[in-house]
Amino acid sequence: MRGRAGKAGKGRQSRAAAAAAVLTAAVALAGCDRGGHTDLGLALSTMNNPFFVGIKKGAQAEAKDRGLKINITDAQNDPTQQINQMETFTSQNVKAAVINPVDSDAAVPAVGVANRADVPVISIDRGVNGGKVGSTIASDNVAGGRLAAKTLAEAVGGKGKVVFLEGQPGTSAARERGKGFEEGIRAFPGVEVVARQPADFDRAKGMDVMANMLQAHHDIAGVFAANDEMALGAAKALGSASGRNVKVVAFDGTPDGIEGVRNGTLTATVAQQPELLGRQAVDWAMRAAAGKPLPREVKVPVVLVTRENAARFAG
Amino acid sequence: MSAEVLRAPGSAPGQWFARAVLRNGPLGGLVALTVVMAVLSRDFLGGQNVLNVGVQASVTAILAFGVTFVIVSAGIDLSVGSVAALSATVVAWAATSEGLPVWLAVLLGLAVGVVSGLVSGALVAYGRLPAFIATLALLSVARGLALVISGGSPIAFPSSVSRLGDTLGGWLPVPVLVMIAMGAVAALVLARTYTGRAMFAIGGNEEAARLSGIDVRRRKLVIYALSGLFAAVAGIVLASRLTSAQPQAAVGYELDAIAAVVIGGASLSGGSGKASGTLIGALILAVLRNGLNLLSVSAFWQQVATGLVIALAVLLDTLRRRSTR
Amino acid sequence: MTGVDDDGPDSGHVLLRVEGITKSFPGVRALDGVDLSLRAGEVHVLLGENGAGKSTLIKTLSGVHRPDSGRIIVGRREVVIRSAQDAERLGIATIHQEFALVPGLTVAENLFLGRQPRTALGLVDRRAMRERAAELLRRVRLDVSPTTPVAELGVAGLQMVEIAKALGRDARVLIMDEPTAVLTAEEVATLFGIVRELRASGVGIVFITHHLEEIAALGDRVTVLRDGRSVAEVPASAGEEELIRLMVGRDIAEQYPRERPAGPGAPLLRVRGLTRAGAFEDVGFEVRAGEVVGLAGLVGAGRTEVARALFGVDRYDAGTVEVDGTELPRGDVRAAMRAGLGLVPEDRKGQGLLLDASLRDNLTLARLDRDTRAGFVDRAAQRREAASVAERLKVRMSGLEQSARTLSGGNQQKIVIGKWLLAGARLLILDEPTRGIDVGAKVEIYRLVNELTAAGHAVLMISSDLPEVLGMSDRVLVMAQGRLVGELSGERATQDAVMELAVRSPQADRDPQADRNTNTGQSAMEGSDVG
Repeated sequence: MRGRAGKAGKGRQSRAAAAAAVLTAAVALAGCDRGGHTDLGLALSTMNNPFFVGIKKGAQAEAKDRGLKINITDAQNDPTQQINQMETFTSQNVKAAVINPVDSDAAVPAVGVANRADVPVISIDRGVNGGKVGSTIASDNVAGGRLAAKTLAEAVGGKGKVVFLEGQPGTSAARERGKGFEEGIRAFPGVEVVARQPADFDRAKGMDVMANMLQAHHDIAGVFAANDEMALGAAKALGSASGRNVKVVAFDGTPDGIEGVRNGTLTATVAQQPELLGRQAVDWAMRAAAGKPLPREVKVPVVLVTRENAARFAG
Repeated sequence: MSAEVLRAPGSAPGQWFARAVLRNGPLGGLVALTVVMAVLSRDFLGGQNVLNVGVQASVTAILAFGVTFVIVSAGIDLSVGSVAALSATVVAWAATSEGLPVWLAVLLGLAVGVVSGLVSGALVAYGRLPAFIATLALLSVARGLALVISGGSPIAFPSSVSRLGDTLGGWLPVPVLVMIAMGAVAALVLARTYTGRAMFAIGGNEEAARLSGIDVRRRKLVIYALSGLFAAVAGIVLASRLTSAQPQAAVGYELDAIAAVVIGGASLSGGSGKASGTLIGALILAVLRNGLNLLSVSAFWQQVATGLVIALAVLLDTLRRRSTR
Repeated sequence: MTGVDDDGPDSGHVLLRVEGITKSFPGVRALDGVDLSLRAGEVHVLLGENGAGKSTLIKTLSGVHRPDSGRIIVGRREVVIRSAQDAERLGIATIHQEFALVPGLTVAENLFLGRQPRTALGLVDRRAMRERAAELLRRVRLDVSPTTPVAELGVAGLQMVEIAKALGRDARVLIMDEPTAVLTAEEVATLFGIVRELRASGVGIVFITHHLEEIAALGDRVTVLRDGRSVAEVPASAGEEELIRLMVGRDIAEQYPRERPAGPGAPLLRVRGLTRAGAFEDVGFEVRAGEVVGLAGLVGAGRTEVARALFGVDRYDAGTVEVDGTELPRGDVRAAMRAGLGLVPEDRKGQGLLLDASLRDNLTLARLDRDTRAGFVDRAAQRREAASVAERLKVRMSGLEQSARTLSGGNQQKIVIGKWLLAGARLLILDEPTRGIDVGAKVEIYRLVNELTAAGHAVLMISSDLPEVLGMSDRVLVMAQGRLVGELSGERATQDAVMELAVRSPQADRDPQADRNTNTGQSAMEGSDVG
C-alpha cells in the first residue's frame, strides 16, 4: 500500500499548484489551533491513502492516552513541504518530531532542520538517507514478502507455476517485498516463478497485466501481488478461478483486501498494522525526548490475514 | 518490441518497421508493431489476447477521443484523468452511498464531466488562461474533489453499471464496444458537425476563424465540455471494469491520452487530427504494453521501450509528412 | 572558398549559375527548367506573377527545397545546397519576406546569432559584438543602438537588420524577396542606396519585386519567370509594357480596368461619428450599392482600425454603423456578417486563411452556420459551393483538398475573397487587397470588384497604393491622424490632392480642441510616409 504513495508522486508537480493554496489554508488553520504548547510533531507524506490515515489514527490515539498534544501535517507527497513543516515543529518547540518521508533522500534537509534545533527525530515507514535520526519504525516488508511466499507455496501444494505482480518500479516497498518473496520462494523448489511484471500498485493495471500474463502462461497455480490493489485487479482478470483454482496472495490488509479474503477471491493477504506503527512512533518519540537509548530499527511485525481470521481485521 | 529490435535499429525487422511507418503513418506503425509482437510471442495473436488488447486500449482511447477535440483546436487538456476519476466516484457515491437510482447517478456522473469541461473551457475562453494552466488547475481540483467525496477509499460501483466492464455472450468485451461507439461519435463530431469544423478552424488560425464569424469563445466552451464528457465516460468504463470507483484511478492517464492523439498524427499546434488516428495511437500503446507483458520484459526496460516507441512513432510520422510535402 | 576570390570584385564574372532546375510538389510543377545567371556587381531582377516559381527558385538557392533535377553552380563548382548553413558557407544570403529575426533579442544579438564573438574564456564578448554590430548598422544607415530589442523596430528597420546580417556574413550573393513591399517611399530610397553600394562592392543581388518602376531604377538585367519556366532574359531598360507582356504572356490593356455602373444605388453602409479614443475620431461616411469607395491615407492614419471596428472585430466608444438603415451592435462580427459585411484583412496569412486547412474548408468557413443543419455540416454542399466559387475566381490549384499554404499570394487572396462571396457579403471591405500580388492577379481582382459592383454590391477599399486607389475607386476618402479629412472624386482625385490631404494636420482646421488629440496624432505620424 505504501507504493501508492510513490505512485501519487507521479502527479506531484501537477498537484503542487493546488497543494500550495490548500496548504496555505491548512497551515493557517493549524496555526489557529488554540495556541499553547505542542509536545510532538508528526509529518506525514500523504493522507490520501488509508495506510497513512491508519498511522495517523494510531498516533492520535496513543497521544490521547498519554495526554500529549500532537501536531500532524500532510505534505501531499511534496518533500519541500516537509521541510517547511519541520520548521513549524521546531518553532513550536516540540519535544520530538516524527517524519514519514515522502522520499528517503529528499527528507535529509527536513531532518537537518530538526537536528539544528536539537529536536530528536524518529522516522516512520521509510528511512532517511542522512541526518541524525533516532529510530526508523517500519513494517518488516522483507519478512512480509517471505511470509507471502511461504503462504502461496503452501496454498499451491508446494509445486506449480506462479506469477509475481511487482509494485511501482523503484519504490522501496516494491523492492523489499520483492526481495522477501524471491528469498522465500527459493525454499520451495517445486514452485516456479514463470513471470514477474510490474503493475504499479494500481488495480486497473493489475487487471490488465494479469490478463496479459494469462495469455502467455496457461497453467498458473498462484499469484503474488505486492499490494492488495493489484491483487484485486488480478482477481478480476482471473474471474471465478481466483482464490480457487488460482491462489492469490496479497500484501497490505486494506479494507477491500480483507473483504476479498473473506469472500474467498483472495487466498490471503499479509497485513501491515498502520495503527500499531502510529502508536509505536509516539512511544519511541517520547523515549527519544527523554534521552533514552534508541535502536536503529524498530520492525513492527506483519500479520497474515486468512479466511479463518479475516473477521478479526474487518471494519 | 523486443530488446533485440531496440538495440539494433539497422536489423531487418527494425528497417522494415521504419519503412512501414514511413509509408503508412500511424496505421503502418500499428501493423508493424503487431507483426513484430506476433513474431516474438506465439501468444500474441490469440483471439482472447487480441480482445484483451482492445479492452486495455479502451479507457485510454475514450479519453484520447475527447482530448483530440481539444488538441485539434490548438488547446490541451491535462485534466481528463482526474475528471474520469471524479465522475466515476460521483456515480458510485450517488448510487451506493446516497442510494440514488442508478440512471440518475450515471447522468450525474456525466454531468460532472461536462461541468468540469465547462470550467476549464470558461477559464480558457473567458479568463484567457493558457489551456495548460487552466486544465492543470482542474487536474488538481478534480482529483481533490474525488478524494473528498470518497474519503480516500474506493467505493463499490453499482452492479448494473458494472456490466459495461463485462462481456457480451461471454466473449465480446463491452469496453471495446463503448470504445468503438465513442470513436464513431468522435469521428462524426470532427468531420460533420459545426463544432467539429470550428475546432479545425480555431486550431488552424484562431484570428481568421474569429474574423470569419466563428464564435471562438463559445466553441471553446463546447470543446472542453466534450472532452469532459468523454473523460466521464472513460471513468465510468474504468470503474465498471474494476467494479469499484477509485479516487486515485487514472493518475497520469492524461499523458497516455495525449500521446495517443499525437501518435495518431495530430499536431499539438492544432488544426489537424483524426479519430481513427487517435484510436490507432491508443492501440499502439496497448499492443506495446501487452506485448511487453507477454515477453516478460523487465519492469525498468518496459518504461524505456514505451518512451522509445512514442518518440519513434511521432518522429517517423513527422518524417513521412515532410517527405510528402 | 568558391573560387570567387581569385578575380577582382568588379570583373562581372558569374557568381552563381542555375541550369535547368525543376521541382515538383504534389499536383504542382513549381519549377520546370529554370535558367539564371548572376554576375558579380549586378542587380538581377526576378520577375513573374505569383505562382510563377520565384519563391520556389530562391528557396532552392537558400537550402529550403532541393531541386528534382538541374544544376546549381557557385563560382566554378557544382554544389548541392541542403540547408541554410550550406547556403551561408557558399556565401548566399537570402532575405525572405518573413524575417528570420528573434524579436526578444537585441539587434546585435540577432546580427551575430549563432556566431557571437567570444572572449578568451569562451563567454560572449558583448563589447566586440556591439562594436561590430554598430559598424554593420552604419553600413545599412540604420540609426539605432545595437542594444535595441528587435521587437521595437519597424518593418523597415527589420529589413535593414536582415541586410546587415547578410553583410556580416560576407555574403557574395544576396537574394531579396520583395524587400520594398512593406516600405515607404523614403525607406525604399534608402534601401536602393544600400543596394547600389553593395553592387559597387561586387556583390551579386537577386531582387524580386512587383513594382515595375523599380526595375528600371535599380536593375541591370531581368529574368522573367512564367509557369515555372524562365521565359526571357532582358535588360532592365525594357519597357513596362514589354515586361508585363512577358510576365502574363499577353498584353494587359488597362492596369486599372474600373467600370463604373450607371449610377450609385441606395446607401448600403452608413457610418456616423465613429470614435475610439486614441485610434480614430468622429469618422462618418456612406457607401452606396454599386460603389467602390477608396480609403486612402498614411500608414497609421487609422484606416484599418476603422474597418475592424465597423466589422465588429474591435469595439468603439461612440458612433453608429448602419447597414440598410439598421444599426449594428458593437463588437459583434457575426451580426456584421449577417448584415452582409465581409472583411478581407490586410494580413492575409495571419488573419485571413487557415494555412494548413484545405481550400474547401477555407472557402466555406464564413458560411459554416448556413451549411449546418441541426448541428451537422452538409459537406457535399460545401464541396459544390467551394468548387463553383473557385472556378468563378479562376483559382490556380491542384484541387479543393490542396492546402492554402501551397498557393501563391494572388490565389490565396482569391480564396479569402471567395470566402466572402460564398458567405453572401454585399459590402466587401478590402484592406490592402493587392499587397504582394503580381500584376496579372491584381487585374483579376479588379475585374472581380467590377463584377461585384455591377451586381449591386459595394466595396470599401483601403489601399496604400495610390495609383490603385485612384484608379479603382469611384470616390476616395482620405484619413489622417484618425480623422476623415476629405473626400475626392472624379477629376479632383489626383495623387497630389490625396497626398495634400493625407499629410495635412486635421486639428488645425477642423478641431478647435486640438490639444486633446495631439499626442496620439503625433505618434501616428512619426515614421509614416506615403506607401
